[in-house]
Amino acid sequence: MAEPSEQQKQERSKALAAEAKSQKTQLKHSKRQVAMVFDLNKCLGCQTCVIACKTLWTRDEGMDYMWWATVNTQPGKGTPRDWEKMGGGFRDEEPQSGTLPTKRDFGEAWDFNYEEVFFGGKGNSVHLQPSGDPDWGPNWDEDQGGGQYPNSFYFYLPRICNHCTEPACLEACPRNAIYKREEDGIVLISQERCKGYRFCIEACPYKKIYFNHVSQVSQKCIFCYPRVEKGVAPACARQCPGRLRFVGFLDDESGPIHKLVKQYQVALPLHPERGTQPNVYYIPPISPPRFDAEGNIDESKPRIPPEYLKYLFGEPVEQALATLKTEMAKTKAGGKSELLDMLIVYEWKSLFGPFTRDPTEIEPRKA
Amino acid sequence: MRCTKVTVSRDHLLDPTAAEWSSVEGEALKLDATPLANQPSEYIKASRDQKQIGKVRNLMVQAVHTGTDILFRLSWEDANKNVEITDNDVFPDGCGILMPLGPGDPPPIDEMGSKDAPVNAWFWRADSKDSPHNTIARGLGTTQYSKECAIQARSLWGEGAWAVVFARPLAVPQQKDETIQLAPGTTVRVGFAVWEGSNGERAGVKSFSKEWRELTLDA
Repeated sequence: MAEPSEQQKQERSKALAAEAKSQKTQLKHSKRQVAMVFDLNKCLGCQTCVIACKTLWTRDEGMDYMWWATVNTQPGKGTPRDWEKMGGGFRDEEPQSGTLPTKRDFGEAWDFNYEEVFFGGKGNSVHLQPSGDPDWGPNWDEDQGGGQYPNSFYFYLPRICNHCTEPACLEACPRNAIYKREEDGIVLISQERCKGYRFCIEACPYKKIYFNHVSQVSQKCIFCYPRVEKGVAPACARQCPGRLRFVGFLDDESGPIHKLVKQYQVALPLHPERGTQPNVYYIPPISPPRFDAEGNIDESKPRIPPEYLKYLFGEPVEQALATLKTEMAKTKAGGKSELLDMLIVYEWKSLFGPFTRDPTEIEPRKA
Repeated sequence: MRCTKVTVSRDHLLDPTAAEWSSVEGEALKLDATPLANQPSEYIKASRDQKQIGKVRNLMVQAVHTGTDILFRLSWEDANKNVEITDNDVFPDGCGILMPLGPGDPPPIDEMGSKDAPVNAWFWRADSKDSPHNTIARGLGTTQYSKECAIQARSLWGEGAWAVVFARPLAVPQQKDETIQLAPGTTVRVGFAVWEGSNGERAGVKSFSKEWRELTLDA
């Protein structure tokens, strides 16, 4: 058989690339986009969202080390350890190389001596403890934070899959196993199409995809789509005791998501420079003031370095914080603020946009 | 490439160490890296270096048939034995045989078939405990395992080399649309691929025989 010429090969490569691109365009198309806003000023690091997700979704075999929802102390290494240094995402629309976090980086599921302590008659002599000598876990550096006393600081950063508008995972999969749902933009990994190649994990700049070593496929947060389909908010949001997880459609002008993200522009995506256009947004944390060398309060300087917040949320964080402060001054002076009322969440259900149904009202799906 | 007719039993030849294999004429194939430009993922194209792909460059292929069954023995030097997926960043070794599923001219071998011209791959991976897969592909990134699989495999790693034997009945009439039907005295097109786990090779990132070859089965 005649070998094709260099030019023929290049033309064929171009044609194949164009075909692949058109498939990707279809896979990431959605008519609407659900989103979440997390108010970092209200997160108390209680991990209730984490456990709500764990008990609902990641109890099957191979999922023991998975935490689709996490809450980590900032500044900190996060989950998986040092995920911000693992690459991925896009720069000038070009995919960026990423690395694969190991099981240890995620924090392996520890085995505890439950048997011995609870049922082995050693309840008074042996402590409940993990076996081995773990030196990392999904929330290992809790409350360490940054800064020097008396100006030390920290805040909590809850994370889930960002259900990006330009998902790096979707772009990376050579099998077109990852897609956005047309009706709500939720990013899913087809468990039938996935062959466990893990390019998606490399490419995700947020490192929010896990490899299941038993079923040998990649798995991640599904934005509780079976609940969303029935008008029920995702479990992490509904279970949050801090009333800080807003849910809704980005284009719903009457809902809090649109107001916080688009109208007031106080909710910002995490690491926007990674180029994936996340659909999880954060109200940045307002700092307490610093103490000066004499121990007096110096109102002119925030405790959380503005550079650190810019590192996380980009330049617009300055304006977002300024807006929040202006609104706070307004209420302090006896005025009213629609924005602050929205963030206070007087009415619990106002968090959830169109997803206010009680899950107990719904007939469970037959297995 | 010739597929010699032998009188040795299939079960005996399934053993990669069976003495009879040493007298079967084989073909030493030079393998190439798959072309990065054709990978169906912009991420793979951007994150890989063409020069780093395709660690295994030499493959010995032997093929025989017994009149009812066909056997391939693939062997290659590999100092790194990668058998288990022990962590997220660990990949197993693998190898595969590719043949067109239908009549007519298949597309170039590195395109893994097309919508109208599917290809059939026999795929072995070191972690699959010698349970190979029968797969069908209709273009890059489309391979699917069939539910049924008439292929058997036995593998052995020793002295820095893999030897993998695939065996299958020549004809598998109950899987006409899923696996190639073979017969003595005919010629089919065939290709081969090897994945080196220690080099992170999986999916289309592998080394392969870059053109279709003809395999003639003795009458």
